[in-house]
Amino acid sequence: MAPHFLELLLFATYAELRAERARSYLGLLWWLIEPAMNMAVYYLVFARILHAGGDDYVAFLLVGLTLWQWFKSSVSHGGHAIWIQLGLVRQVKLPVRLFPAVQVLADTVKFLYILGVLFGILWLMGYAPNPAYLALPVVLLIELVFAAGAAYLVAATVPFVPDLRFVIEQVLQVLMFLSGVVFALDVVPEPLRRWFALNPIVVLIDAGRGILLHARWPDASALLRAGAISLALYALGVWLIARLTPRYVKLPT
Amino acid sequence: MSDTLIALHNVGVAFNARLRLGAPRFWALEDVSLTLRRGQRLGVIGRNGAGKSTLLRTLAGILAPDRGRIERAPVACQLLSLSVGFLPHLSGRDNAVLSGLMLGLRRREIVRRLPAIREFSELGDFFEQPISSYSTGMLMRLGFSVAMQVEPEILLIDEVLAVGDADFQEKSGAALRARIHGGTTVVFVSHGDAQIRQVCDTAVWIEHGRSVMQGGVDEVLRAYHAAPHPAAG
Repeated sequence: MAPHFLELLLFATYAELRAERARSYLGLLWWLIEPAMNMAVYYLVFARILHAGGDDYVAFLLVGLTLWQWFKSSVSHGGHAIWIQLGLVRQVKLPVRLFPAVQVLADTVKFLYILGVLFGILWLMGYAPNPAYLALPVVLLIELVFAAGAAYLVAATVPFVPDLRFVIEQVLQVLMFLSGVVFALDVVPEPLRRWFALNPIVVLIDAGRGILLHARWPDASALLRAGAISLALYALGVWLIARLTPRYVKLPT
Repeated sequence: MSDTLIALHNVGVAFNARLRLGAPRFWALEDVSLTLRRGQRLGVIGRNGAGKSTLLRTLAGILAPDRGRIERAPVACQLLSLSVGFLPHLSGRDNAVLSGLMLGLRRREIVRRLPAIREFSELGDFFEQPISSYSTGMLMRLGFSVAMQVEPEILLIDEVLAVGDADFQEKSGAALRARIHGGTTVVFVSHGDAQIRQVCDTAVWIEHGRSVMQGGVDEVLRAYHAAPHPAAG
């Protein structure tokens, strides 16, 4: 990454977070309140009403949702980014992937705050820190690459088909249920499970739960596969944006 | 030829008229050829809708040609753009850094120039306040002060020669004239003959997306005004 792009990415992310904080009364607190409210809803529906899961369910849900929401907000914010910034794209010559990258990075900063709180909650619940925590950075790095890749792909296409905006949230919702976020995928029959394992989110959430709740080291080959898929998606996203860049400027206003 | 910084050969640029598959394209530039030499101050004249602004954005490298060919020497070429990327809730200082980065400056360059920006924009303590609290005049002063920090080898100017209220217009106009006549290569789009004569040493005439003529300012202006005026397309 060129040093100028990196400087621009970091400062634009800082500016984005700063502006977001200034836009509401509670500012930074929303970074925690919003996911907390979201988790409360799922807890109410799945644990209290549907009686899903066992003793571990609350912790299971917290870890799953924390990792999922990072991915989800990265894709939905990043996915809109080029379309929203078309005015700027017409005005100056910039690497267009800056815009989704800023959104993904901003959501990553927020995620790290939430992760800190998650650690605290888990420790209070009796899930102590353990040596397998050392594998956590690898899991998070793969998720970052996957989220950025997915965000780039969506961001690249939305300017041409703005109607996609209405579909993305629904697709993400379905993907959430297919990713084992709120209930375990044990119910999936064996022949199908191989296909589910191709979804990096399934592997990453499973690895995250293993580390945080059961002091279990992640399955290296599954992580490697998820990493390879994520990298491929990321490369595809970068390539597609670069390929389409000359055409964004020529879209009707 | 070594002095030629940019050469356009029969360049055409098309836009999508509507957001639909197979929608017809609209050719804002049909066939433009011109050369820009180092130190030249080229005026672009033509009626509304002739494609002058599209031409500037093509020269800036924002728009890629859909036909024809562009040769360019490896020099920085930039449109004078005010308030690029400004965010309302950020301070004048933060916006100056953000905008400077977007215009291609490195972080340390823009940080080094912050005192000069603050000084030139006459914002005083407002420099640290969110720009959502600024008046239109203050915003223009900040925008202009930041834009002037970028010093490309080729400066592209679309009509704007001065901004702000009366006092600042004089100051910003003087700063820009100093830049223009300080040896920078300039491409200047304008409606006004007087401004073209004042700024430029050569001119190119664009009509319906085609370059009709390039040459000395007087010669091109005379031909332009002698031509019958068809309705602007």
